[in-house]
Amino acid sequence: MVFLQRRCSLLAFAGVMAVVLTMPAVAMGQESADFEGVPTAVQGGVLEAVLFYIFGGTALVAALGICLSKSVVRMATWLFGTLGAVAVLYLLLGAFFLSAIQLIVYAGGTLVLLVFGVMLTSKSPWVRFECSKVELAAGGGVAVMLFAGLLSVLTRADWAVTEGATTGATVEDFGKALLTTYLVPFEVASVVLLVVMIAAAYLARQEG
Amino acid sequence: MLTIGLMHYLILSAAIFCCGVFVMMTKRNAIGILIGVELVLNSVNINFIAFDRYSLVPGFDGQITALFVIVLAAAEAAVAVAICMNLYKNINTIDVDRGDALHG
Amino acid sequence: MSNYETYLLAGVAIPFVSFLILMLFGPRLGKPLAGWVAVAAMATCCVLATLTMVGWLGEVENGTAAEMTAAAKDNQFYWADLGTVPINIGVNLDSLTVIMFFMVTFIATWIFVFSVGYMAGHSDEVGGQSKYHRFFCYLSLFGFSMLGLIISSNLLFLFIFWELVGLCSYLLIGFYFDKKYASNAAMKAFITNRVGDFGFIFGLMMVYFFLGTLDLDGAAAEFSRQYASNTGVFDPAFTINIFGWKVSGAMLATLMGVGLFCGAMGKSAQFPLQVWLPDAMAGPTPVSALIHAATMVAAGVYLVARVFRLLTPEAQMFIAGVGCITLTAMALIAIVQTDIKKCLAYSTLSQLGYMIFGLGVGAWIAALFHLMTHAFFKAMMFLGSGQVIEGCHHEQDMRKMGGLIRKMPVTGITFLIGVLAIAGFGIPNAHLGLGGYFSKDEILAVAWDRAGIGGEGHGHHGDHGGHGDDGHGGDHALAGTTGFTLVAGAGGSHGGDHGGDSSEEKGSGALKLMFWCALITAYVTPFYMMRCWWMTFMGKPRDQHVHDHAHESPLMFLPLVILAIFTVVSSYALFRPLIADAAPALTDAVLVTSYDGHAYDAEHAKGALIKLEAAHDWLFWGVGWSWLIMFIVAIVIYRGGLDFAAKIKSAFSPIATLLEKKYYFDEIYDFLLVRGCRLIASISAFWDTYIVDWIVASFTSKVTERFSVFAGRGVDANIVDGVFNGMAVTSFDLSNFFRSPHTGRIRNYVLFTAGAAAVAILLILVFDQMSGTQVVLTSAGG
Repeated sequence: MVFLQRRCSLLAFAGVMAVVLTMPAVAMGQESADFEGVPTAVQGGVLEAVLFYIFGGTALVAALGICLSKSVVRMATWLFGTLGAVAVLYLLLGAFFLSAIQLIVYAGGTLVLLVFGVMLTSKSPWVRFECSKVELAAGGGVAVMLFAGLLSVLTRADWAVTEGATTGATVEDFGKALLTTYLVPFEVASVVLLVVMIAAAYLARQEG
Repeated sequence: MLTIGLMHYLILSAAIFCCGVFVMMTKRNAIGILIGVELVLNSVNINFIAFDRYSLVPGFDGQITALFVIVLAAAEAAVAVAICMNLYKNINTIDVDRGDALHG
Repeated sequence: MSNYETYLLAGVAIPFVSFLILMLFGPRLGKPLAGWVAVAAMATCCVLATLTMVGWLGEVENGTAAEMTAAAKDNQFYWADLGTVPINIGVNLDSLTVIMFFMVTFIATWIFVFSVGYMAGHSDEVGGQSKYHRFFCYLSLFGFSMLGLIISSNLLFLFIFWELVGLCSYLLIGFYFDKKYASNAAMKAFITNRVGDFGFIFGLMMVYFFLGTLDLDGAAAEFSRQYASNTGVFDPAFTINIFGWKVSGAMLATLMGVGLFCGAMGKSAQFPLQVWLPDAMAGPTPVSALIHAATMVAAGVYLVARVFRLLTPEAQMFIAGVGCITLTAMALIAIVQTDIKKCLAYSTLSQLGYMIFGLGVGAWIAALFHLMTHAFFKAMMFLGSGQVIEGCHHEQDMRKMGGLIRKMPVTGITFLIGVLAIAGFGIPNAHLGLGGYFSKDEILAVAWDRAGIGGEGHGHHGDHGGHGDDGHGGDHALAGTTGFTLVAGAGGSHGGDHGGDSSEEKGSGALKLMFWCALITAYVTPFYMMRCWWMTFMGKPRDQHVHDHAHESPLMFLPLVILAIFTVVSSYALFRPLIADAAPALTDAVLVTSYDGHAYDAEHAKGALIKLEAAHDWLFWGVGWSWLIMFIVAIVIYRGGLDFAAKIKSAFSPIATLLEKKYYFDEIYDFLLVRGCRLIASISAFWDTYIVDWIVASFTSKVTERFSVFAGRGVDANIVDGVFNGMAVTSFDLSNFFRSPHTGRIRNYVLFTAGAAAVAILLILVFDQMSGTQVVLTSAGG
């Protein structure tokens, strides 16, 4: 069992590696579709569908992996898969900048932070706390119910959507937007980050 | 099926969301719960960006919002990990069931 | 508001402030200071009263006094409605108020000064707490109440202050409440006064009901109007059926006056409610002097004088009769008293009887004049007795005194002045006399005239007859038509007092008898007073220990001297003219006029006591020299000690015993009231013990017991307790049930939140499906 789980972890890791390696190709593919230098999403083609199913499926499988694994370290590894796959989906949606941010901040920052947290708070990486079967069943039931509800709401809703392709936003656009329209949230966020930095340092400091 | 639209992303997002909620509901490890939260935040981000991509409204407000979500998620994760460490320091475990001093 | 009103109101308020200060901070002020606070307050009042009186004399001189009285009447504060009757607070600003105010504040000031000296030598500890401040606290409250009583223009307020002075009297008589006799005396005074006050309230209700106002002047005016116009209570058709007994309106009017007089009977200790006053001497001597000799007991006389115009001739006769009985009976008791304070107390009773008698026979001015002179000399004598008692080491028995004049010259001389004043010392036709010589003899003169003993022909009567022609003849005819004479005839003492048109009616038998009683008492008074003085101050010392101890206290004899001076002053100047100014004039009262009211004229105001001269002329041999005769008799008897007196006493032992037992009044009351109550109580106790208890024990208790067992074991233990325990258990279980989701685990809370969200979504969908409308989500752009 442990052996199987360890292999699954390896599989997840391999998947993420594949994503990371594929991303330039996807990006390049998009660039090849538009030689004007402004990247556009891979849209409307079979390629888009194939990419969506592959990486959407990866994200979903990794998420389920998180649900089902008992070890925190495994969960962190599976999360790595989800985050990477979602980053690829961002690419498909034309959010290149966010895709990069997703990898850098999430996969590179938050996830490492989490793993460090696991390391610092566990007597061994294999420490497990398991909840009761009843709770598992109830949680599963609620999750399925919630999913069913969401699904039916989504399918019933009359989404006013455009079918056409849109141009993605460049880093330049982001920079301008953040320093003009979204200046106040940007500054607030910076203050929040400062506060968080101090708070985290305070909370995690060695007493005495 | 081969034409990928908004609905695909929404369904995927819902699925990941439900997984995140399930993780929060069933993990006793504080870090595990934090991972669930990250999953939920990711599913939300997918929604934001998908709506931004397919909406009739011009601009990229959805992406900006998602950017702030990522920033705040990172901040939240930092504080949460610090809290977890504090918890561990105080009760020598990060089993959230043990941190029930406020239990009525 | 004129200055006078302001002065008088301030004069009432200042003692109250002093009372509050002493009540709140008394213990901190300490022993001498608390007393001086009260003295300062009362002295301020006295200054205000003096200012008022001096100014008022000028107003009387200028003839503007009546305007001031009317202005004060218009200046009343509306206070409240009693039914439809508005109650106004106001100052009754007239000569009588001014002079009474002065008298009370002046005497009170000096008695307060005396008290500071008196209380200095008294132990006043009760339970380790000093009562010194409390004494002056009560005295200040008394000053407030008494002055309020004097200035009240409304019977209701008069009644309120009336009760307040009663309370002060109770508190001060029972000042040494740790002694049984003092607390008993206080209770006796209070309860006896309640009997009188019941009548007072009854009278007040009748005034309210028949006259529709409680204002003194308003009530008098309404009373006269009803009488003149045969309406209201004087309506011939007006009768009330009381237990099948028809009572005519005129009878009710008489009852109203008698009811009001009942209050005076209690407060002025008139027969048969006189029993409390001698016992009230249990209080500290300054209290006896101030309250139970000079001021409060005079309040009854003051009340009768104020409601004088509400009296019918029959009520007046009743008052005269009560006064006559009191003055005679009490004077006789005073002869055999051996306690110096008791002796003075009975003399006070007798003199109050004179005042009441005077009002009863219509000698309004003379009675109030006597009140004034009596207040000064009796206060002085009481203070003198206090001095003696204090000096003789708390010895009150005159048989152990004697020869004190050498040890206490000032006290002895001032006391002698008092004795002379009360005895009616004076040289007839020489304008020379003291106190009673003018005031008491004037009462006798009026009674003489009213009783018709002097017969027709002297100037005064002719004068009266002349007035009768102005209006009284007509009134009398009217009375005949209203059936008033019928009621009066039944009383047998009507006498057509205000008519004066028939000499047969003028002198009724009852009035004649009363006059002779009062005259004889005028001989008794000098005897017992001289006896008292001689036994105390003259002769040989009978108790060497008491004699050796005797001394005078300087702080205490200053008030004596001042009051002695005023005894002399009050006999001559100031008081009588001012009282005469306040007398009800003929025009005021149709029904009853003060007999001597009309005799006042400018000549009297100048101090020429023509009428009194006339009185002494008629009574030259009757009363003028009575003091001298009886002084000689008293001195002859008591010159050589008590042996001769004892012989006389044994010769008349039944009478002496009767007098010593005070006519067995206490015994009769004890038998009728106390024993009667006890008898009823024993019968009730018997009933309760043997019949009620038997029923209770043998029947009720068994039933109760059975029922209790049933109720306790059956109902209470099972049903009641079951219900409450069940409620408790249920709520405990419910709480536990509701507590169970609160696991304190974050993941469970997430579970509930998500579950709730899921259920909510599903419910919306189900509802959506059922209603057939799509309420869920239409995008903004769609």
